[in-house]
Amino acid sequence: MASRLLLRPWPFTWLLALRYLKSTRRDAFASFLAAVAGLGIALGVGALIVSLAMISGFQEALRGELLSRTPEILIDLPPGADAEASRAAVAGVSGIRSARLEVRGSGWIVDGGKVQPVELIGFEGPVPAFFPGAAGKAPGLYLPEGLSTRWGLRPGEVLDVVSPKPTLAPFGGPVPRVRSLPLSGTYASGKTQEERERVALPRDVAESLLGSANRKIEVAAGGLDAALAAAPGLAAALAPVAPGSVVRTWADLNRPLLFALRLEKTLTFVAVFLIVLVATLALVASLSLVIASKRAEIGMLGAMGATGKTLERAFRTLGGLIAGIGLLLGASGSVATCWVLDHYKLVPVPGRVYFLEYVPFLVQGRDLAWVLLLTFGLALAASTWAARRAAALDPLEAIRR
Amino acid sequence: MSVAVEASGVSKAYRDGARTVEVLRGASLSVAAGEIVAIVGPSGSGKSTFLHLLGGLDRADTGTIWIGGERLDGLSAAQLAAFRNRTIGFVFQFHQLLPDFTALENVMLPGRIAGRPPGQVYERARELLAEVGLSQRFDHFPNQLSGGERQRVAICRALALDPPLLLADEPTGNLDPHTADQVFELLLELQSRHRTTAMLVTHNPKIAKRCARIARLDGGILEPDQEVRDLSKDEEPGGAGVGSEPPK
Repeated sequence: MASRLLLRPWPFTWLLALRYLKSTRRDAFASFLAAVAGLGIALGVGALIVSLAMISGFQEALRGELLSRTPEILIDLPPGADAEASRAAVAGVSGIRSARLEVRGSGWIVDGGKVQPVELIGFEGPVPAFFPGAAGKAPGLYLPEGLSTRWGLRPGEVLDVVSPKPTLAPFGGPVPRVRSLPLSGTYASGKTQEERERVALPRDVAESLLGSANRKIEVAAGGLDAALAAAPGLAAALAPVAPGSVVRTWADLNRPLLFALRLEKTLTFVAVFLIVLVATLALVASLSLVIASKRAEIGMLGAMGATGKTLERAFRTLGGLIAGIGLLLGASGSVATCWVLDHYKLVPVPGRVYFLEYVPFLVQGRDLAWVLLLTFGLALAASTWAARRAAALDPLEAIRR
Repeated sequence: MSVAVEASGVSKAYRDGARTVEVLRGASLSVAAGEIVAIVGPSGSGKSTFLHLLGGLDRADTGTIWIGGERLDGLSAAQLAAFRNRTIGFVFQFHQLLPDFTALENVMLPGRIAGRPPGQVYERARELLAEVGLSQRFDHFPNQLSGGERQRVAICRALALDPPLLLADEPTGNLDPHTADQVFELLLELQSRHRTTAMLVTHNPKIAKRCARIARLDGGILEPDQEVRDLSKDEEPGGAGVGSEPPK
């Protein structure tokens, strides 16, 4: 019932804003502008949430794909460093689950007349986790399954692994180092375009091809965040044993890509936020119209003792209510849309072009909080600006007109 | 009897382009508590301006105004707003009811602005509206009320917080003679019952004659204690008068 509103024990500013929110429906143009503002904010917020969720979905898929092939932490030891002592120092740092010596370098895989340039990675013990599909298997020669398929290889077939590091022969000068190894197995090829295909080798074989001067330590800390947290401790632990060691986390190893992904997200945010800006202008127009059409009433409220601050707060609250309704509509609608699109895989993409069969949508809490906070903050700032006109009205002037 | 209103040497001028219009020139008036004073005078003589100055809606250029022991010229805008809320009840020629609020809500507004408990404000509004015979109109919006009913609601709103001073600017000026009489009778009755000091601007000699005192404004000069004499010359052509409007 209409007359019950003023019985609510709410602040007067809220009562006024709620009543004016309802009354804008009676004024066709004011209600049109209020609807444009509210729906504009809903549309802007919805577009922001959906587009950020799409980028987050892609990023997450890409990151998962990429990071499954990247060591959590990779330490480059300086030439001549005591590798074993360094490994022991690293293994002693709290939070470190494993530290394994490895050797990396360029080389070729040769099978008959076919040659493939590769990155040779020599490790000790079972195959490390960044060779998905082969992780944990016995040491040996492991090729990406794409290469294996292209060349029609089967496990047990003997391949030549060639190093660019030459060996000086008594006759004929430098000769490339070659080792022949049976193929132990394959690992899952990445769907993303990698710089070079990688080949897993036992460490002793790799060192015989590449030498032992450039050893590295591959460190696992039990998770991406744990790796970032543990990295500073590693540098400190290595300082006395192997000064000049370079500690690189998964983030350092993939810096250009991660930067590109972040930049893409930021630019999308800025571009789509323009819709919210336009909606905010509509909100200012809507509030200005309400204030202009209610001049005499605002004047009478002033005559009855409402201060400028009270009137400013009331119209700011009105703006906040219009924006809040838009936010609620936009956020709930877009989150539901994202869930449906992701759950039912409704947006297919050609898997050969992209590395996914459908567009994934991932609504991240932090993105959602930023969108809601920024939009509401902007709407409140715009409402305050408009509401100051109501506060500045001279009651007498307003009543006279 | 204590003094409710004390105006001394009050002047007010407005700029009208390059011209300065002196609306009030040294007006002085003293009104005792509970008194009812009619302010009469021709259009443009400064009656409404004087009322607005007394109500803290406008500021005097010179002179001092004391209302209930409070001096107005030193108050800030926020202090003036609080002063108006607790001390003054305004009734304007055009009811100035808020169209988005019902009759009951309009009467509740001053109480809610003052931050009084909603239940108390509600009861007070109901009592007042019942007192003026509008019990059946609580939930009617202003556009659903007749002119006389609207003005009665406006009077209730002015009295909602029991203000010591009621200022009425042509309260019956927009009503037909019969309704105007009814509304004025009601105003007198309520003023007497609530022991409110009242000052009202009017062009209606009949109404002025019913007041305890008459102050006459002419050309910005206030003659505070006029005999009830020939007031018909102040009447506007067409009957209902209008309050003076300073140039904008």
